[in-house]
Amino acid sequence: MRLGTRKLIDRGMTALGIGSIVLLAAALLVFLAPIVVRGLGAFVFRGTIEYRQLTLEKFGRGDVDAVEAEQAEAVEARRPVYEMLSAYKKELADGHESLDEAKKQFRADRKEMRRHEGLADQQRADAQAELDRREAELDRRGEQLAKHEASLVELEELIRELLGPEPGQSVPVLWRDQYGQTRWDRAQVKLDQILNVETWVDQDDPDQPRVRVLVPRADAFEGTTLAPLFPYIENNAEAMLLPRLTFYWRFLTDTSFDAHFFGGIWPEILGTIYLTLGAMLFAVPMGVVAAIYLVEYAREGFLVRVLRTFINTLAGVPSIVFGLFGLAFFISTMHVSPSKSVLAGSMTLAMLILPMVIRASEEAIRAVPATYKEAALSLGASKWWAVLTVILPAALPGVLTGIVISMGRAAGETAPIIFTAAVSVGKPLWPWEALSQPTPALPWNIYNLATEHEAVDEIRHVQYGMVLTLVLLVLLLNAAAIVMRARISKKLRA
Amino acid sequence: MRRFIVFLVSAALGMVSPVAMAAETRIVVDGSTTVGPIAKQFAQYYMSKHPDVNVTVSESGSGNGAKSLVNGTCDAASMSRFMKDNEFQAAVAKGVMPVAHVVAVDGLAVIVHPSNRVKDLSLAQFRDIYEGKIKNWSEVGGPSLSIVKVGRDTNSGTYETFESLVMQGARVSGDTETTGSNGAVRARVQSTPASIGYVGLGFVDRTVKPLAVNGIVPNRETVASGVYPIARPLFLFTNGYPKLGTPLHGFVTLYLSEKGQEIIEAIGFVPVTDY
Amino acid sequence: MVSSDRLVPAGRSLLLSYRADRMRRLGSLVGQSILLLITSSSILAVLFIFYFIGRDAIPFFQAEGFREFFTSADWYPSGDPPAYGALAIFYGSAMVTVGATLVAVPLGVLAALCLSDILPFSIRQMVKPVIEILAAIPSVAFGFFALVVFAPLLQEHGGRLLAWVGWLVGGPLAVLGVVVLSDLATAGLPEKLRAAGRGAIGLVLAVVAFVGLARLGDFFHGLQIVTGVNALNASIILGIMALPTVVSVSEDALQAVGRELREGSYALGATRAETLVRVVIPAAASGISAAVILGVMRAVGETMVVWMASGNAAHVPEPWYDFLASVRTLTANIAGDMGEADQSLGSSRYHVLFAMALCLLAVSFALNMLSEWAVHRSRKKMRGQ
Repeated sequence: MRLGTRKLIDRGMTALGIGSIVLLAAALLVFLAPIVVRGLGAFVFRGTIEYRQLTLEKFGRGDVDAVEAEQAEAVEARRPVYEMLSAYKKELADGHESLDEAKKQFRADRKEMRRHEGLADQQRADAQAELDRREAELDRRGEQLAKHEASLVELEELIRELLGPEPGQSVPVLWRDQYGQTRWDRAQVKLDQILNVETWVDQDDPDQPRVRVLVPRADAFEGTTLAPLFPYIENNAEAMLLPRLTFYWRFLTDTSFDAHFFGGIWPEILGTIYLTLGAMLFAVPMGVVAAIYLVEYAREGFLVRVLRTFINTLAGVPSIVFGLFGLAFFISTMHVSPSKSVLAGSMTLAMLILPMVIRASEEAIRAVPATYKEAALSLGASKWWAVLTVILPAALPGVLTGIVISMGRAAGETAPIIFTAAVSVGKPLWPWEALSQPTPALPWNIYNLATEHEAVDEIRHVQYGMVLTLVLLVLLLNAAAIVMRARISKKLRA
Repeated sequence: MRRFIVFLVSAALGMVSPVAMAAETRIVVDGSTTVGPIAKQFAQYYMSKHPDVNVTVSESGSGNGAKSLVNGTCDAASMSRFMKDNEFQAAVAKGVMPVAHVVAVDGLAVIVHPSNRVKDLSLAQFRDIYEGKIKNWSEVGGPSLSIVKVGRDTNSGTYETFESLVMQGARVSGDTETTGSNGAVRARVQSTPASIGYVGLGFVDRTVKPLAVNGIVPNRETVASGVYPIARPLFLFTNGYPKLGTPLHGFVTLYLSEKGQEIIEAIGFVPVTDY
Repeated sequence: MVSSDRLVPAGRSLLLSYRADRMRRLGSLVGQSILLLITSSSILAVLFIFYFIGRDAIPFFQAEGFREFFTSADWYPSGDPPAYGALAIFYGSAMVTVGATLVAVPLGVLAALCLSDILPFSIRQMVKPVIEILAAIPSVAFGFFALVVFAPLLQEHGGRLLAWVGWLVGGPLAVLGVVVLSDLATAGLPEKLRAAGRGAIGLVLAVVAFVGLARLGDFFHGLQIVTGVNALNASIILGIMALPTVVSVSEDALQAVGRELREGSYALGATRAETLVRVVIPAAASGISAAVILGVMRAVGETMVVWMASGNAAHVPEPWYDFLASVRTLTANIAGDMGEADQSLGSSRYHVLFAMALCLLAVSFALNMLSEWAVHRSRKKMRGQ
């Protein structure tokens, strides 16, 4: 082979390697970008007057006077909408009345005609045709009215979804029906639905699916008093909803309301914290002790080999199997709690991260220079005293790093807590309640909201917000670990 | 010294009493994802009226609800089907007497993507699709696309209703995607032009197209009157009738109140009684 | 750092009497046994897991036997009579795992090579955290991404996406292949003809490669992807999840190959690529295979991503290599069905899930043993050299 070719292959290999690293980084970026951008949408968004009203009424937050002033403004801007609607309703009612009138007239005329028996056939036929024509005309008018009424019902529903219930009407029971759109991005979606009707049109080829066509809703109301409503709504949407940049940091500390339509994710965050800390409570002492034994006391041999094999096996057990085991052992056999509970979940998670804690602590303890121990022993300390006072403190930062990384793992695990700890709805627990009660938790509720919620699309921002929170939580823990490790290596070098 | 003892005792009581209270004032609901929205809204409404009560809702499926009730690990099991023989037997064997509260009626709507021109299926066609006999939409008057079948986990209540009312002994073909909930089925159908799925009536919205079955469109009237062929009652089961006046009693009888019915109607189900 | 008076507890003399010494030895023995006891808790944990999963799995095999479970693809636990053929589900697991391995291994090993041999130290320090972050992201977040972002993308623009990937991966490989092949083909020609021959053959090969790639791109482009939640989606996301494991373990293995080997190879005039392929990779082979096994384990045992991204259809796709079909895996089946199986009644429908868990456990145990053996072998080899 020529030298040039060999060099080319070499470069190619380098390029492939760098390409793979770039691809790796790109994958991370592609993953993180939507999560971060849309996740921030849960915290920072353009909130409408409905949002401020909701915060004031349900959470007691905000400036009463300012909100009332804004509300008055919005009501003023909305008034024409309701006026046009009621005018149109009146028009429909009038239409019904005149139709009824015409029907009455028609029936009278028909009766009249039937009474005239002496008419010639020709005349009779003409009269009959005239009557038929009128009947068809009446039917057409009736159909038209019914169609308009149906369109009106849909339109009113959409306007209710956009602006909330009309002032003066009874208050609906669900929060989501009590208010209009609280977020401007969602409001724009609704606005679009009001202005355009999504229709599906058959194609000529019957083998092709229908295609989506947007038809202006105004077409259905052309020539009626409602026609000006649509340009009005289009031009005055901002005046009716008064969107303003809103920061909702309390998303992290509010409980959720109306099946996560409103409020924040505090119960989930708290549940995750309990589960994680609980898992650490069990795993850390056991893990550190095991690591001390493995490094300082155990003699390499059969026993240690077996121990290591089992620790590795434990690390390799699929997480869902831990879930099943937690259910079968902690709940059904040991009865640590009557049903799912934070306690059972923590114990299950603890088993999952135990190998991680052991390995990390082992490494940290091994990294302590042997001279430390030798110095302590030479001063007459017993072995365990040396471990306790010299080796452990020296290894502590490394052990902590490992613990922090395992915390991240415990916080993000879903499969082990499905059967042992997690529920979809619950309020924030007090620590003593955690022993016996299940809790919502971030990882499980992300799954739950993304797949099992009845309005998946409308609460996307909450889902993204949850994912962002969880990812940030885990990444912060990892970042802390990375920083800690950097410090340690600096210290060791110095 | 005495003061110290008093302090200790009160501290101990302080530690214990919340536990005792917590144990009394919590209601655990477990079961169907179909009844889930009702249970969750009831829970929230009830907690807003009784802040001292914690109502937790798990949506893990009807079978699990029954199991939890039998094991005494939940107070109310939400189920989208009636209890089965063996569940009853297991319950009685454990001294649990299941009492059914019918909270609402639900129709199983057959949904397709709005781009699908098919409007109507007979029950037999519907069955044939899921059995795998009909593989392409063109066989039932639709576009030439192979059908993507979306179904539910084999032991959800919705699935069991589907199996008994639609499949009637025939087997669902293996290439049916299964999902964990009504919401997931709808999400799949609204994003997939060639798909078909079945969900509770309360889950039908503008993004999917419900089909008429045997010419009957699913809506409140046809479901409540039983004209629509795939309809079923939704249950909450309790162990015995709850003691009157307890939180549990208040919770499971919410569906009888006007507010309860309003909630049921607001999330798209059909209340059992008319006010 | 530690003052000496704390090292020796007060009141204790450095000179020990015989008795005190014995007491001390006894104490340390007791202490050691306690430590050993705590350490063995992980043995206990593993045994307990096997026992409790096995305890609930055995009734299934007693009631239904082995044959149907392992040989039939007829999964119908709710039927009357029920059918418990889990073959299709095993197949789904295998398929997704193979897919994930195909994504993770080439990429991961290349990245590891790059990290250990190509990139300068400073850049390596920057890349490492990227891999750690990738390893730290919770699986449910990946699952969410797969379901909400990736699945619609795949369904809408999947063909185009695949075509792009085909060009992106195939293009550079084709260029390299053309050059190498044309060089090899002209090796036997006399000196004067060589340049011209290389040009001609290279041109022909390039055209062939281009046409081939174009056809491949067209094929991908024309693919109709009816559902975005399928084996491909799950494989890609799982592969990305398994990447950090593969990268870090194989990088360790590559690092463990001494400098002497590399320098010896360079001294013989080999290029870096030749050194890597002919010397370093063979030397690190058992370590790399351990990395691959660990990556496979990660993919086999993962639940949330496959549950959310694979579509959960319990069938063997037709044709069998159809990665665009929905499949169901063992883990997803357990997660999806467990919540709903009537546990208290001890039905087969409940126990079958434990039987599946037992199979998962057995597979991961076997893989673990295999990886340990591989690591052991690589250590021995290193020591031998």
